[in-house]
Amino acid sequence: MRPLVRWALVAAAAVALVTFPYWSAPWESTRFATTLLRDALVLAIFALSLDLLVGRAGMPSLGHAAFFGAGAYAAGIAGQRLATDQLPVTLGAAALVAALLALVIGVLVVRSEGIFFLMLTLALAQIVFAIAFQWTAVTGGSNGLSGVGRPMLATVDFSSPDLMYVLVAITFVAAALLVWGLARSPYGRALIGVRENERRMRALGYDTARLRLSAFVLAGTIAGIAGALSAYSTRFVSAQDAGLGNSVRAFVTVLVGGAGTLGGPIAGSALVSLIERVVPSLLPVELRISEAILGLVFIAFVLFARQGMVGLGRQTWLRVRSR
Amino acid sequence: MIEVRELRRAFGGVVALDGVSLNVPDGERRAVIGPNGAGKTTLINVLAGEISPTGGAVRLAGRDITRLHSWQRARLGLAHVYQRTELFSPLSARDNVALAVAARRGPYRLFRAPPRSEYAQSDAMLERVGLAGREDVVVRALSHGERRQLELAVALAQSPRVLLLDEPTAGMSPVETARITELVAGLDRALTIVIVEHDMDVVFRLADRVTVLHEGRVIADGTAADVRGDVRVHDVYLGKAVTVA
Repeated sequence: MRPLVRWALVAAAAVALVTFPYWSAPWESTRFATTLLRDALVLAIFALSLDLLVGRAGMPSLGHAAFFGAGAYAAGIAGQRLATDQLPVTLGAAALVAALLALVIGVLVVRSEGIFFLMLTLALAQIVFAIAFQWTAVTGGSNGLSGVGRPMLATVDFSSPDLMYVLVAITFVAAALLVWGLARSPYGRALIGVRENERRMRALGYDTARLRLSAFVLAGTIAGIAGALSAYSTRFVSAQDAGLGNSVRAFVTVLVGGAGTLGGPIAGSALVSLIERVVPSLLPVELRISEAILGLVFIAFVLFARQGMVGLGRQTWLRVRSR
Repeated sequence: MIEVRELRRAFGGVVALDGVSLNVPDGERRAVIGPNGAGKTTLINVLAGEISPTGGAVRLAGRDITRLHSWQRARLGLAHVYQRTELFSPLSARDNVALAVAARRGPYRLFRAPPRSEYAQSDAMLERVGLAGREDVVVRALSHGERRQLELAVALAQSPRVLLLDEPTAGMSPVETARITELVAGLDRALTIVIVEHDMDVVFRLADRVTVLHEGRVIADGTAADVRGDVRVHDVYLGKAVTVA
């Protein structure tokens, strides 16, 4: 495909995605699909950020929800304390707090690898969760933080469900373009170098600890933005947003979709969202346990399709073409 | 160019380097030989900054680099070809070399594909080591000999001042060995080379001077001809090699 044609297709798809609430209105009067898609896109941004670590740089973090939660709380608390719904303020606070937290945690974890990295990120994220859960005066503790305002950009009010969706979709498109741009840049290639052979990267003159830290902070910042979007969307932040369950959810999303690819985290969030929100309603009441279904799907992918949905798609495509 | 003084390194109770001193002047090609366990690879790894010494000092162009990390030494012009292949297996030969070419400009270049000039330089380097036509092949699909050639291309792409070669011909066929030997022989004379090698034909073809290590100590140091005539060297190394062969 010519690059121009490809860009035109990508642009058309992005426009179709962002304007979904408007062209779906005739057949989708309950807005269920819009809400579902909105939450799936928030998960997709979160998963794309985690994949920078898991898939690209080879840093399997089990604590990524700490930054999602930090962004969600920062957006909510900044909005309430500063009595403003202005997007640059609340989203800026979310990005800043998540970035700073990622810097602090990152300095502690980037020199460890593999299972040690996994356990360290898990442990440090649990501390963040514990703070969110205990510090009732600031975070609302176990009650969560309710009454988070929908954002405004100058005079544009994103409080309607449709415009809230549009904000999420635009951010998603921006995040996907960002990850796509990074993946093909010298930076993205250097992350793959670190994943494949850190020792050799050092011998080539790369300060790999700094490189890993930069990826950790970048991924944490994007996760914080996803967290803020989640807080705006549901008008609520739960301590669970920063908890292990949410970290695992993002991790499963990445692996089920296909780590180290642009399409993987996106496809994974579509599947996970369907399993969480649509599949239960199709099942008898006793079987409506979305976590268990998700767990089984995850096991199936680990056993039979390590490359995730993207890998399955590629294999199928190659088989069809070779016929 | 590269100078070590009284270098010591122990692994637990095993002393790998027991006060090694050597001085390789600018542009010299120095071979380090010795029986297995003499400390040759440990020496190379200490020079490259991958292992820190228990005692002693390493200087590069007069500067003390003993405490510098391997990536800092690489930026000062040290390149290392490992005994075991250390490459980026899912990447193509071209991308492997391009990572070395790109190291000078650093990794913090976002949102743009790597410049064509970096790939052109990489392809030129691949051609130089005899891998023309194999640019797009991923490392996994290369033969052992080709990987060794690629290792050399990656190290040369760093434009080093000092090249550390740890058994560059290990596991190679005679034809491949000859090719690598001629390739190294044809490198810029300004490049300082420290080579650890078991193949004596390679050593005597390449080295200006030879240092013989035995049980972590330097037991002989001289021109290739001197070392060949040294009786102790025959006892610990060359003689043994002949009887084995």
